[in-house]
Amino acid sequence: MRVLMAFFTLSILWPCPRWAMADPKPPRVGDVSGSIQGNVARVRFTLRDAFTPEMVEALKSGIEITFRSTVKVERMYRGWFDQKRGEVRYTCSVRYDALSRVYRLHRDDGNEILPDVNEALDRMTRLEVSVPVWGEIERGKPYVASVRTRLDRVGLSEPLRSILFFSSLWDVETEWARGRLSTP
Amino acid sequence: MKSAPENRQPLTAEQERSKRRREGWAIGVVATVVAALTFVEAKLAAIGGTVAFTDNIVIFALINLNVILVVLLIFLVTRNVFKILLDRRRNILGAKLRSRLVLIFILFSLVPTFLLFIAAANITTTSIKSWIGGRVGQALDGAMKLAQGRLESEAILLASVAQDAAERLPAEGAAESGAEAFLAARSIVPHGVALLLVRNGEPAVREGEIPSDVLGELLSRVKERMGGTAGADTRTLIGERYAAAWYPVAGEAAVVAVRPLTPGETAMVREIAKAYEEYHQVRLLDDPIRASYLGVLILITLLIVFAASWMGIQLARQITVPVQLLAEGTEKVARGDLDVSLDYRSDDEFGTLVTSFNRMTGDLKAMKGSLEEANASLRQTYEELRRRTQFIETILDSISTGVVVIDRHGRIAMINKVAERLLGLPTDRAIGQLYREVVEEEHYEAIRGVYREAGEKMGGQVERQVERQVELRVKGRKIAFRISLTALRDDAGEYMGLVAAFDDLSQAMRLQRVLAWREVARRIAHDIRNPLTPIQLSTERMQRKYAEEHAGDPVFAECTQVILSEVATLKHLVEEFSRFARMPAPRLAEGDLAEEARAVVETYRTAHPGIEWEFQAQPMPPVWFDLFQMRRAVTNLLENAASALGGLGHVRVACTFDPLPGTVRLSVADDGPGVPPEDRDRLFEPYFSRREGGTGLGLAIVSANANDHGGTVRMRDNTPRGAVFELEFPARPEGKG
Repeated sequence: MRVLMAFFTLSILWPCPRWAMADPKPPRVGDVSGSIQGNVARVRFTLRDAFTPEMVEALKSGIEITFRSTVKVERMYRGWFDQKRGEVRYTCSVRYDALSRVYRLHRDDGNEILPDVNEALDRMTRLEVSVPVWGEIERGKPYVASVRTRLDRVGLSEPLRSILFFSSLWDVETEWARGRLSTP
Repeated sequence: MKSAPENRQPLTAEQERSKRRREGWAIGVVATVVAALTFVEAKLAAIGGTVAFTDNIVIFALINLNVILVVLLIFLVTRNVFKILLDRRRNILGAKLRSRLVLIFILFSLVPTFLLFIAAANITTTSIKSWIGGRVGQALDGAMKLAQGRLESEAILLASVAQDAAERLPAEGAAESGAEAFLAARSIVPHGVALLLVRNGEPAVREGEIPSDVLGELLSRVKERMGGTAGADTRTLIGERYAAAWYPVAGEAAVVAVRPLTPGETAMVREIAKAYEEYHQVRLLDDPIRASYLGVLILITLLIVFAASWMGIQLARQITVPVQLLAEGTEKVARGDLDVSLDYRSDDEFGTLVTSFNRMTGDLKAMKGSLEEANASLRQTYEELRRRTQFIETILDSISTGVVVIDRHGRIAMINKVAERLLGLPTDRAIGQLYREVVEEEHYEAIRGVYREAGEKMGGQVERQVERQVELRVKGRKIAFRISLTALRDDAGEYMGLVAAFDDLSQAMRLQRVLAWREVARRIAHDIRNPLTPIQLSTERMQRKYAEEHAGDPVFAECTQVILSEVATLKHLVEEFSRFARMPAPRLAEGDLAEEARAVVETYRTAHPGIEWEFQAQPMPPVWFDLFQMRRAVTNLLENAASALGGLGHVRVACTFDPLPGTVRLSVADDGPGVPPEDRDRLFEPYFSRREGGTGLGLAIVSANANDHGGTVRMRDNTPRGAVFELEFPARPEGKG
C-alpha cells in the first residue's frame, strides 16, 4: 500500500513545470568593493548571470522584474565573530514601457528612464548602495561588505497573476558574496 | 498486502462504525478545506498584484497545505478502497456488494470527469494557441503602432512649436529673458500646449498647465536625451499622458513643448498599452500558463474523482452496512441465536427493514419461548401418558387374561403378552393392523358373531360388555376361550373401540376332567378291586383243587391261568387307577431339581442304551417341589419319549430358570414321530393313549403334578421333528419364603 501511495503522490507532483527547476548557471554577486566614509559605507557590486534569456524576453514583454539585495557591513575580527555594523535592503526594478519605448528603472535612491535594454540591464546589475553604519569606524581595520540578491517579484499583468498563482516563474537567488571595504 | 497482526485486538462493530464515521468526517473536512484554500489562494493571487510569488510565505504555505490535504484525501479514499478490496478477498459478508457499488460509483464519476478533463485541457490549449498565434496579436500590434503614430505625429507638430519658441529666445541670456520671450510666443502656441524652459535639468520657465508627474517624467527624459547624442528625430517624447518635443538652446537649456492628453485619450492609450503588454506576456508565458491551467484542471479532476469515490464509498456503506448487518443477523438467527438485535438507526427503508428484523427476532424469541414451554408441557404430558400406558401395559402383562384393544376402525391399538401367546399374534406386527387381517377368519367370525349376537340382543345397540365362551382355532389347535367384549365409548356416547379379553379355559377344563376322572377311577378301583381278590383266590383254589383232576386237560390250566393273568392285569390297572385317584396334596420342599432330573435321566441312559440322552441344566436357585411327584413326572416324560423313539433316537432334557417371572422349566425333546394335531387336545387327558398297552395315565399324571405345583405342562413341535414337552412351575410358590 505504501508503494501505491508513493506512486499516487508522485503522480500528483509530476505535472510541476520543468521550467520551474533550477537554472544550470546560477546567478551570483561579484566585484564587491567599496569604502567607508564617515558613517556611510559605499558598497559596489555586480550581479552576474541574473538575467536569463527568458527573463530578458519577459522584460521586453512588459514584465516588471525586481531584485532585492541585502547589503551588510561587518567589522572583521581575527579569531572572533564578525560584528555587524550596518545593513540595508536595496530594491531595484525595471519595466519596459512599450508605448514610450523606454525602460523605467526604479531604485531606492532614484528613478531612471533608459532607451536601451542593454543599458537597463547594466544599470540593474551594476549597483552602488549606501549603507549607514553605526559605531566608530576604526581606521585601518578590516571591514567587509556581504551582499546577497534575489528576485523579489515578477510583475505580471493582472489576468496572469490569477492564472500563475501556483508557480514562481524564475528562482533567482545568489549566495552571499563578500568584499573588503576601504577605510579612510 | 500485509495482514493485520494477530495480537491486535479486533475492533467491535461499534468501534468499527465509529472509526468509519471519523474517517468520513475527516475526508469531508479535508475536501472542504481544500476547496476553501483553493478559493482563498485564487483570491489572494488576484488581489496581491505586487505580491512576489517566490517570497510569499502565505501563498506557498497555502499551496503546500493544499497539496498535503489533497494527498491526505487521496490517502483516505485509497485506503478505503483497498480496505474494501481486502474485505472482498477475505470473503467478509457484504464486501462483494460494497466493492461492486464503489466500483460503479468510481466508474460513473471517473469516466465523465476524465472525459471532461481531456476536453477542457484540449480546449484550453487550443484557445491559448489560437489567441497567441492568431489575429489578436496583429490587431494589438497595429493598435499599439497606431497609438504611437498618433502621439508621434502630435510630438512632431510640437517639435516645430518648440523650435519656434526656442528661436524667439535671445541667443544670450535666454534664461533671464525667457519669461518675456515665452509670453511673446504665446500667440504661436496652439491651444492646450504648454511650453517649458529647462535649464540644468530644472524647469526655469513654464507657460501653460503641466501635471506634476508629467513634468517630472519630462524633465528626466529631456535630461537623459540632452546628455546623449540624439538628433532631431529623437527630440520627440511620447507617454501615456502626453506628447512632447524639445529643442536645445544655448546654455545647457532646452525648450519643451508638451501637450497633456485628455483623460479620455489617456485611458484609451493606457488600455492599448495594457492589452499589448498582456498579449506579449501571455505569448512569452505560453507554457507556464498552459501548465498552470492543466495543474488546476488536474487538481479539480482529482478532487472530483476522489470526492465522488468517497461519496460512492459512503453511499455503498449506507447500503451495504444494513445489508451486512441483516445478513449477519439472519445467519445468527439461522444458527438459533434469537438474541440478535441489530444496532442501526435510520429513517430510510433500511432502517424500517432493520427495525422489522429486530421485531421479528423478538417475536421469534417469544414464540420460541412459548413453544418451548408448550413442548415442556407436552413432554410432561407425554411422560405422564407413557408412564400410565406403561403402567397399564404392566398390569395387562401381569394378568393371565389376554387383552386386545381394537379402535373404532378395527385396528389393533394394544395387545398384551398373554393375548399374543394365546392368539399367536406378535406385538410388533399386530399393532396398527386390522384385527381381521391378523387373525384367522374363523377366529374373526367367532368374535364378530359374539359382537353381532350381543348387538341383536340389544336391538342394534351393542351393550357395553358381553361375555361368551367360544372355541377358537389357534395355529391348528382348538382352544376354549371365555371372551369378554367391552365397547369403549366417550362421554358423548360415541363408539371409540373395543376391548376384547380372552381367558384360556383349556387348563380349567382339563383340571375339571382330571377331577372327574379321579372320581371315576376311585369308584372303579373300589368296585373292581373288591371282586378281584375273591376271583383270584377262587381261581387259585380251583387250580389247587382240580389240578390233578384235570391234569390232562389243557383247557382248564389255560383258562385258570388266563383268569389269573387278567386278574393280575386288572389289579395292576386298578392299582394305577387307585394311585391316580389317590394322588395326595404335594409336600413341597427346597431341593435341586436339576440334580433329581439328572438322576432319572441317568437311569434311562442305562435302561435304553440305544437312545442318545443329553442333559443340560442352567444354574438356578433352590426350587420348591414334591420330590416324589416330580420324579414320577420326569419318569413319565422320559418313558413317553423312550416309547416314542422305539429304542433309537435322541432325547434332550433341559432344566432352565427364568428369573423375571421366577419359573423353572423342564423340557424333554425327542426326535421321534411327534404328536398328530388331532391328538394334541386330548394328550393330557386320562386314558388317552395311542400306545399299545398304555394306560393313558402317564401324561395325565404329569399334568396333575404340574397343576399341583401351580404350573402347567404343554407340548409343542420339535424342530425338525419330534415333540417337546415342557413342564413349567414357579420356583418359589407363594407363601414359601
